[in-house]
Amino acid sequence: MQVTEHVVRKSMVIGVPPLRAFDVFTNGFDSWWPRSHHTGEGDLVKAVIEPHQGGRWYAVTTVGEEEWGRVLVWDPPRRIVLDWQLNADFRYDADFHTDVEARFTAEGDSSTLFEFEHRDIERYGDRAEELAAALGSDGGWTGIMNGFAAAAQRPA
Amino acid sequence: MATNQALVNGFDALGDPTRRAILERLSTGPLAVGELARAMPVSRPAVSQHLRVLKLADLVIDEAVGTRRLYRVNPTGVQMLRKQLDKFWDQALAAYKDAAEAGGD
Repeated sequence: MQVTEHVVRKSMVIGVPPLRAFDVFTNGFDSWWPRSHHTGEGDLVKAVIEPHQGGRWYAVTTVGEEEWGRVLVWDPPRRIVLDWQLNADFRYDADFHTDVEARFTAEGDSSTLFEFEHRDIERYGDRAEELAAALGSDGGWTGIMNGFAAAAQRPA
Repeated sequence: MATNQALVNGFDALGDPTRRAILERLSTGPLAVGELARAMPVSRPAVSQHLRVLKLADLVIDEAVGTRRLYRVNPTGVQMLRKQLDKFWDQALAAYKDAAEAGGD
């Protein structure tokens, strides 16, 4: 049996100190979150991370609010962990949990080593049907990626 | 490695309610054709036919265990999603880096 890792890992150096990097990631969440990426009806108005442990992270849309999950760890400017409760179909599922963690470490005076993980991806396998449907449909990943690629290329 | 063609076929393969029901059963663990047929209101040959379609779409894999052939959900579906998440975060985090480094101090 081949060992497969069910984690997405990213790291990069950002040219600002940890405090600013943390602030943009959290309070500035709406400024960088892909507009195409939300789950329900209407258009995305604002993406929000509440600045405390146990807070919500959610979307405000033209028709209401969408739950996305909870803030599990709030430790500025070092670390934040979000409970990502969106299933493979991008629906909020109260019984579904994966971890998204970001760590911010000072590098010199004015840079931050940003380390990121999205863990527990094997849990999507428990919901094989919606996983397959999400992967194959235009309303799922394919559509979101296409929409995001287009949005990213537009000038801000 | 799954291809886009497999993804498209996967979507088509799920257009049928019986096939969706079969996948749902298999998501709880591997089963033989006979066990699937007993649990569902369709004949064994019909179940076999549906399993063939699901296999072609890379959604289900089978293996011989002793004298039985067991069908299970193909775990590479999870790997496909992992790749998509990977790509998604690449782009979202690039936008994050740009936002962090954009003036504003």
